[in-house]
Amino acid sequence: MANIAAKRIKREFKEVMKSEEVAGGAIKLELVNDSWTELQGEIAGPSDTPYEGGTFVLEIKVPETYPFNPPKIRFVTKIWHPNVSSVTGAICLDILKDQWAAALTLRTVLLSLQALLSAAEPNDPQDAVVAKQYKENPQLFHMTARHWTNVYAGGPASIVEFNQKVQRLLDMGVDEHDARVALSTYDWELERATEQLFS
Amino acid sequence: MTDYFQEMGWRELEDGEQPNHLLHMARFLIDFGMYDDNFTGEWPRLPPPASKESVKNLKEVKIEDENQNCPICLKKFNINDTAKEMPCHHLFHEKCILTWLNQTNSCPFCRHELPTDNEGYEAFKKEKKRSEQRKEDIEALHNSMFS
Repeated sequence: MANIAAKRIKREFKEVMKSEEVAGGAIKLELVNDSWTELQGEIAGPSDTPYEGGTFVLEIKVPETYPFNPPKIRFVTKIWHPNVSSVTGAICLDILKDQWAAALTLRTVLLSLQALLSAAEPNDPQDAVVAKQYKENPQLFHMTARHWTNVYAGGPASIVEFNQKVQRLLDMGVDEHDARVALSTYDWELERATEQLFS
Repeated sequence: MTDYFQEMGWRELEDGEQPNHLLHMARFLIDFGMYDDNFTGEWPRLPPPASKESVKNLKEVKIEDENQNCPICLKKFNINDTAKEMPCHHLFHEKCILTWLNQTNSCPFCRHELPTDNEGYEAFKKEKKRSEQRKEDIEALHNSMFS
């Protein structure tokens, strides 16, 4: 790794550790390997959102050309959000692409991701299915996102009706995550989800 | 009042110059809404590097306050170091800021833009400014008529 990248990450790491957000438990940053090229981030789901109470883990890869190019970040924790792929965890956020600036840091990026959870951009989606539901059926979107937060991110709100529907598909021998994706995609209509899974 | 030609971004043909039919076609498509002009939107990719001229003209400043970081490498400046100053007064190590400006034209700290050597991008910026101005003018006109 180029020297400037590693040196900067080390300085940033110190900065993050001293920050009040880490002290307050809003964000977390850990090293994955000794070469400073890969880190793991964590953000707390913001309050008054369906992500409240959940903890979301992020994979952070630092390119050799950092900070002149943005870090590559994706969600490891599965999440139902218009700007995050429900399949791969890939994120659509301008500052991680062409709006990157060299003065941005891992701390500011993690805070921006947290802000993205509070304010989705459905007109610039990463996941078209989620974005469509967000726009056309906001209440159902909200519940689905809360359900995913509960199941994958340790959120507190378990939604009994959704759990029962997932269980019905499990009883038919469907993989749990596949069942959840199909139900979420088809607005929790069991019949259409089943049809799609067995077609 | 600006004259009609200038306002439309046009100029008269030189002696013996033929009209540019491709340009006419493009204007036709935009005017009739068959092609979305993207002047109100964003430049679709990373803006081009800062112009050689503007990079050469960056001011050099002697550091007097040692509690200041270079926002790119985050290293503290040493007293009596020379730093490069952007027009927005943000300070950087020479090597750091030159690498950045070689890639794109804005201040990494506040996005203040330097001119570029890229004609397409400069034309885009000009057109964007003009369309914003036009929007403001129309709004002012509307308000003066209906308020």
